[in-house]
Amino acid sequence: MEFTLLPLAILFTSLGIVPLLFALPERSARLRTTINLTAAAIKVGLVAWLSWRVSQGTIYGVGFEVLPGLAFKLQADPLAILFIALSSILWLITTIYSVGYLEKGPHRARFFGFFSLCVAATVGIAMAGNLFTFLLFYELLTIATYPLVIHRGTAEALRAGRIYLIYTLAGGLVLLVGTLWLWVMAGSTDFAAGGMMADIAAASPVQALMLFVVLIAGLGVKAALVPFHAWLPIAMVAPAPVSALLHAVAVVKAGAFGIMRVVYEVFGIHVAVDLGVTLPLAIAAGITIIYGSLRALTQDDIKKRLAYSTVSQVSYITLGVALASPIAAIGALAHLIHQGLMKITMFMAAGNLAEGLGVKSVSAMNGVGRRMPGTMLAFTLAALAMIGLPPLAGFVSKWYLASGGLDAGQGWVIALLLASSLLNAAYFLPMLHRAWFVDADAGAGAQESARQRPIGWMLSAPPLVTAALVLIAGGLANAPFSPLEWTRFVVAIEYRE
Amino acid sequence: MSDIMLYAAIAVPLALAGAAILPAARALVLRLAVIAPLPALALALVAPPSALSEPWLIMGTVIGLDSVSRIFLAFSAILWAAAAATARRWMRGDGHATGFITCFLLAMTGNIGLILAQDAFSFYALFALMSFASFGLVVHARSDKAYRAGRLYIGFVVAGELALFAGLLLASREAGSPLLADLRMAELSGLSVALLIGGFAVKLGIMPLHFWLPPAHGAAPVPASAVLSGAMIKAGLFGMLSSLPLGLHAYPDHATVMLAAGLVTIFAAALIGVREESPKAVLGFSSVSQMGIIALGLGAGLMAPAAWTVLLPVVVFLAAHHALAKGALFLGAGMFGAVTGLRARILVMLALILPAAALAGLTATSGALGKEALKSALETGSADWLPWLIAALTLSGVATTLLMARFAHTLWKQAPGAPEMVRAQPDGLVVPFLGLVALSAILPATWPLIVPEIAFAVIADKTADPLPILVGIVIALAAIIRAHALGIGVQAFIQGITAPFLALRSHIDAASRRRARSLRRAAHRIPAMLSQRAESLRLGQTAIAALILAVIAVGMLEMRNVGAGSAAPMPELGIDMPQPWD
Repeated sequence: MEFTLLPLAILFTSLGIVPLLFALPERSARLRTTINLTAAAIKVGLVAWLSWRVSQGTIYGVGFEVLPGLAFKLQADPLAILFIALSSILWLITTIYSVGYLEKGPHRARFFGFFSLCVAATVGIAMAGNLFTFLLFYELLTIATYPLVIHRGTAEALRAGRIYLIYTLAGGLVLLVGTLWLWVMAGSTDFAAGGMMADIAAASPVQALMLFVVLIAGLGVKAALVPFHAWLPIAMVAPAPVSALLHAVAVVKAGAFGIMRVVYEVFGIHVAVDLGVTLPLAIAAGITIIYGSLRALTQDDIKKRLAYSTVSQVSYITLGVALASPIAAIGALAHLIHQGLMKITMFMAAGNLAEGLGVKSVSAMNGVGRRMPGTMLAFTLAALAMIGLPPLAGFVSKWYLASGGLDAGQGWVIALLLASSLLNAAYFLPMLHRAWFVDADAGAGAQESARQRPIGWMLSAPPLVTAALVLIAGGLANAPFSPLEWTRFVVAIEYRE
Repeated sequence: MSDIMLYAAIAVPLALAGAAILPAARALVLRLAVIAPLPALALALVAPPSALSEPWLIMGTVIGLDSVSRIFLAFSAILWAAAAATARRWMRGDGHATGFITCFLLAMTGNIGLILAQDAFSFYALFALMSFASFGLVVHARSDKAYRAGRLYIGFVVAGELALFAGLLLASREAGSPLLADLRMAELSGLSVALLIGGFAVKLGIMPLHFWLPPAHGAAPVPASAVLSGAMIKAGLFGMLSSLPLGLHAYPDHATVMLAAGLVTIFAAALIGVREESPKAVLGFSSVSQMGIIALGLGAGLMAPAAWTVLLPVVVFLAAHHALAKGALFLGAGMFGAVTGLRARILVMLALILPAAALAGLTATSGALGKEALKSALETGSADWLPWLIAALTLSGVATTLLMARFAHTLWKQAPGAPEMVRAQPDGLVVPFLGLVALSAILPATWPLIVPEIAFAVIADKTADPLPILVGIVIALAAIIRAHALGIGVQAFIQGITAPFLALRSHIDAASRRRARSLRRAAHRIPAMLSQRAESLRLGQTAIAALILAVIAVGMLEMRNVGAGSAAPMPELGIDMPQPWD
């Protein structure tokens, strides 16, 4: 156990540079970029090392007890690695994108400070060894993202920030109550493979049931489960890299990841099935999937359409968790990664369209394929992956989810996924059609898209890289260390008897 | 060696499509597109049967070549090569040539690849690549007509893909393996067979799933419609042959639907087709009608598995025959539009007689051999349907002759427009066009040479009766003469004479239009209504407030319970994972 401090080191690469970034004067942009990129690169390296060690069977953990049964505990288990790997790789890419995006913009010190804090919080959420630690970082995430959402300082941004805070703080409050309740009831809030509620649920099923509802409702706010989703499409006024990170890694994923921890490692999947809570959760996720897609259909604002699409897609994860089948669980966990890669690509591409061409609405997208081929190629790959076309990432998770639905004896899941794919096609294909097959001078938004300014490689390269990852994650799904393979490893542990 | 050829068959067109990203390479890509299908053709002609497995690719990929896929690969590669040679001339100077050739090469990759794919994942991936890339071919003209055709096309493609996703998923779970060979061996459930047939029938254009086909084939530029009609719709047939347990298990209900759909398709497509005014749309309906004949073979196989060993070679032969003849007709239509002067036009028209006669089934052509072989193969199957099937196959000669006559007539009246550059220099189109005409004409002779393992005995000794064709010609001539005598023109005459037959169709059309309209309205209204309601109710805020109230209420109730319950001893918690701080 000579490397017990490795999880702390990974947390520190994001957290430790925060004071440094705040302290730096606004104008020393080069130094700030160097610090950011170095830390992000070191973190990717450390995470690679950590995943290798964990795949060899080592589990890292550090912690100390605050109150009896209430410990601050970080633990790098395979499930945590999944989330850390996503967050560290996308942090590196998004940092490059943000540097390009905010070039010469105001308040960069503040922005990058909170940006790092936000990423540190996701690392903490991933490695939290118990619900108490999870809650601490969960609240830190809320606080760290607020300044990012209102970064532009416009009236609209401030309003969005207010709504965002109301929702997430309320959700956090509910989660706090749930955590305390769990602590009182079980004497511990530890995450453990297979859960720890078996005896308690057997003794007092009603209390366990209510506790489940409270915990999931608290987490459901960030996971954007209907009806707690409304903050997400409003928060898309944030700058493009923030939206990208918010939708791919940080906030919604924290919620989905928490749901996964609660179902699998607090209650345990078998206990949750016995309590009869999994089917209602699956149905709630199903409603969210369809509702989000239906709302996305009518949005003309590109980012708003993408945001409603996130509402829909993130609930795939909840659906897969709630189906209580190992195959569906593999689909859910793989989708955690896959959705992140796809959605970050689309938000960065949308940011490029707005920056380079001033195109912000779907009706102004005519002919943008010819004007920004690289960006639109990335967007196209991600959109086709969302619809679920092989060999792209989205297909793999959809296939496992649908297969898991059959495995769990819930045939309606296939119909649900098909309906969702149809709706995805209905709101993404018209965008691709306009971009590639309609000439630029036609259509209503001609004036909006008239101006053009060149964008640097820092904006154009990141979406291409993530689009390539979308292709690789699907095309090489069976290769070692692919998201799918790692997910199989995680699920094998969770379903171990 | 054959491994490298397998890779090359897929990689070469894909790499060329990728090269179109580089602006410098674009002109070269258009010129080189013609060599892209050649590795596949070489593979089909010389490579031994083989298979190779890449377990890390997608979720386990197997590609390979067997006797059925060899034939599909051969005729598909020939058509793609001929179409690429035509496209090279056709697209010169076109503003959207790069977009066209990229979509063209991607669709080619998909079409060639799906024939080689031996597992559900790579098959589905390449099938989707072909279908979605073809959208770019359909809307290439960027006219209202092309966009309408494209919308219809993509709607059917998405529906077909969804059916295939569900079908392949169910089937591979039932078979316990994603390999297509295992799917063919498994006793699949009726639902998964129905989903697979439905998904593939969209591509094959069997009624009532044909609506997309004639407009799409009409709207696409000539080289694209040749491959759409010749090669790509056969992918639907190939999909059925490679995923259904034909010859092992009977599916009488599916067979009944398939046979009925086939019988209706053959004649209904001809009746609707003769009303069309554009020659390429007439050819599109002719493809639909011909796929009806293939549907009869498939239906008979689903009905009586024992007959499949004789039906399979016939169905494959019919596919090859239709691919070459229809490809020749489409390229000929383009050629006809490109040449100027009466002499050249008459020469093209004369050359077109060969594939047209083959389609109609004139004695000693490939069409006649296919139909006669199908008749005798059907005799080994179910007896109930036999008289109907034989009668339909015989009468299909009349139907096809009428369609071909109508094609010739519309072609003469309004040939498809060819680009200026092609009109100025139509020579480049001659080789691919005449090549396909020749290959189609000599197919009866070459068939036993290429595919000895499934060449069939019936090919030699049956002679087809040319009577249906004569009847067709007489009807066509009578129609033209009568139309002239009445002085109303052929188009109006046909409209008048087919009107009673089509009263039913217009009813169906009106009903389906109404349905589509109300669906579309609902599709707009439901999301709009949802948005309005959600905003007016402040759903989210209300929910959050309710949640917090509920938690407080529950918390106050629980305080007592917990206090009472905490007297019980704490349970010992078992933790599975080794904890390093223990």
